[in-house]
Amino acid sequence: MADADASADAGNKQSVYHELLSPSELFEARSRSHKIPVRGQKEFLPSGSEQQSQRLQHSLEEHWTLLAEERVERLGNLVNAVWSPEEKLVELQSPAGKFWQTMGFSERGKQYLQPEEALYLMECGNVQVFYRDLPLSIQDGYERFLSSDTVTLHQYQVFGHLKRLGYVVNRFDPSHLSHSSVSSTYERQLNLPASDKQKKQLKRKRSQSPVSSDKHGISTEEKTTSEAHNELAETSKLPADLQEPVHLADAPERTWWMEEDVQQKHPKTQTAAPRWDFSSISFPDLGSRRRSERLASPHRSLLPENVDVGECDVSRWLGRLNMKQEKLSRRDMERQRERDRYRRDVNSDREVRRCRNWAEYSELMEERRRRRRKHRPEHLWEREETPLTQPGQCTSHRELLDQIGIIKSSTFSEGLSRLSPSDQWKISFDVYQPDTVAEFKKSHPGKPYTRMCVCSFAGPVPDLHAVKQLSFQSQDVPVTFAVVDHGDISFYCFKDFKLPTDVY
Amino acid sequence: MDGDPAVMKVPRSSSVEVKEDMDTKSEKQATRDALIDISFCGSTPMLWKVSDMKKCRSEGVIGALVGSLARQPRQNVRLGRPLELRPEEALLLLEKEKSTAAVRLDTQQDCEDEEAHSEAVRLYEAGLESSYQEQCVLALEDKKKTLNRVMNEKENGTEGSGSAVRERLEALDQSFSFPWSAMAVQLCTARSGFSHCPEERSFHSTDCPMPRDEHLNTRFSVYRDLRNKGYYLTSAGKFGGDFLVYPGDPLRFHAHYIALCVSLDEEMPVCDILAIARLGSNVKKTVLLCSPQEGDVVYSSLQWSSMV
Repeated sequence: MADADASADAGNKQSVYHELLSPSELFEARSRSHKIPVRGQKEFLPSGSEQQSQRLQHSLEEHWTLLAEERVERLGNLVNAVWSPEEKLVELQSPAGKFWQTMGFSERGKQYLQPEEALYLMECGNVQVFYRDLPLSIQDGYERFLSSDTVTLHQYQVFGHLKRLGYVVNRFDPSHLSHSSVSSTYERQLNLPASDKQKKQLKRKRSQSPVSSDKHGISTEEKTTSEAHNELAETSKLPADLQEPVHLADAPERTWWMEEDVQQKHPKTQTAAPRWDFSSISFPDLGSRRRSERLASPHRSLLPENVDVGECDVSRWLGRLNMKQEKLSRRDMERQRERDRYRRDVNSDREVRRCRNWAEYSELMEERRRRRRKHRPEHLWEREETPLTQPGQCTSHRELLDQIGIIKSSTFSEGLSRLSPSDQWKISFDVYQPDTVAEFKKSHPGKPYTRMCVCSFAGPVPDLHAVKQLSFQSQDVPVTFAVVDHGDISFYCFKDFKLPTDVY
Repeated sequence: MDGDPAVMKVPRSSSVEVKEDMDTKSEKQATRDALIDISFCGSTPMLWKVSDMKKCRSEGVIGALVGSLARQPRQNVRLGRPLELRPEEALLLLEKEKSTAAVRLDTQQDCEDEEAHSEAVRLYEAGLESSYQEQCVLALEDKKKTLNRVMNEKENGTEGSGSAVRERLEALDQSFSFPWSAMAVQLCTARSGFSHCPEERSFHSTDCPMPRDEHLNTRFSVYRDLRNKGYYLTSAGKFGGDFLVYPGDPLRFHAHYIALCVSLDEEMPVCDILAIARLGSNVKKTVLLCSPQEGDVVYSSLQWSSMV
């Protein structure tokens, strides 16, 4: 019985060592070909001919040779790593290779690979992973690394497929996104790496600008300030004026100074509120015509404790102020006229200027509306249902169609924030295009090319809820569905489709 | 694998060996060698050894390669081991008793035997060392061979340079060094020798760790029937069907049919049938509706008929 045991053991060992290469085979493998044989044209029907079966035999032999080939690498080219089943990570033991640019992460002074990254690099012959001092085979890697806690086999198949094509593939981290959601859409469109970088740039610019304007002559300085004035006027005219109708009377008198600083209205009535209302605390308007030589001291509540500020003599500064009338060049005047043709200043309306406060202004507006309505037929306009559009309101067919359309077409991104996240559908990977690999930085990966959601033909098709929810989670990065069908991977995506309209 | 309910459903007491009633262990070994080892990654059946894959193909079971090819790993045109089997394919192999299925148990369990483990580590390191020694000799021989060839070429030409090579050749025995880092090592694809030998559990076809449902049963009946008729089958998800049906080995032949498995009592909207028939004609394949019925399978296809 003992003999039988021994022979069985020997037989067993032989089968176990079946695919292990001998040292001479290993040595020879160093100079083997890396070419992949080309597959010939397929045929339609088996004819039973000798020729056909020979071709099949040839193809099969080629197939088996390719498959039987084992990975053989020089020890010096391999990066050593250790599998830690508790952390579900692979820790590097020797300096990382080129792959470190797009894969892995450092923590507590150690370098780690995610299990899927380690497995892919094992398959590429870059990394040898050990567990309890013994190397893991690719099979071990598949069976140990892949689970529902790390990535599933399906997810790994998609990961490997994309990696083999050269894409940079990272795990999707939803918590990472909340940070980037702070940045504006514009910022994200520009694909700026991080918001802090952006701020730094802004700061630098600001501190540079006074230096550059000092270098220039006074004339250019004047010009830039007048331009600044125009811009400011454009942006702040309407709302500011409407909120402070009292000031409308002296609006034409204002110099450019005033646009920025609202005149101090009640400097002394400021009470010691726990929180300052900055909209009511204003800087003194030194450029105003009614200026005095002295500035009253600010209210105590605005000053730090134990600081006493008396009246301030500003005459010295006033002398330095540029009080010259703004002179516009002919071109500037023309430009202004052009602008005024399309923009009616509320202040140029005499009736509006007569209003003394907000209430009077709204009354005026209501009165005008009433007057307009007088010309409309009562049976149309004075009932519960009114026409969808008014005569003369539309300037184009499209506008008219838009107004009379009752069911508005919805877009993909509508009503997204109300959706509750589902457990079944999850984004697995961020994918970056192969041509960005050279500039790719793990710390600032930037905006992905697409995000991957892995599913299978056996599972359900994502419904509109799932599609919308995923695209909301992915923000402005498109979501691609990778459908795994027993080793075969197809990629699909849902796109917002807008029906073309004939009328323009 | 770990925590997968479909896998762990199998009771721990299930048979560890395939056939306990074999007379001697050697005989059992012989049968085991003829069998195909299916290992499960999660609930997916996989083949890892080329010998198993050959046996499997000779049964007409194709499967799908899903790993990177060792020779050129960074491409998707030709893939390498492992071979993923469809559940129907694994079921067929198990039913024919052509294979054993093994599942690796949870990681905590492997190599509980500390002594055996340290012995394995010792064996691995010794193997590495002896491989290094042998490769040193081989490298030296290789170098000598190259120098000899160069010398012969040179001697046919001018005499002076030939002697320089001869000197180098003579000095080679003393000066030659083969660094440890230049040693070639194998990165095993399948689990083998030096690696861990985790406890594996084998299954009979009845308690295969694959979740079985009604649709799988239907598909399996169809798969078995078409296979028995000599057809080769692969996945047809991209074509909206269950199988692509080939008249010969898919390596050399085009598929003729798209098989769609529908059980007889299953209701199906006409537009679905029209859609897939239309798709089939676009890719020049016939769509087969396959329904198992009392041990047999009924095949029907849709053809547009014009009435003039």
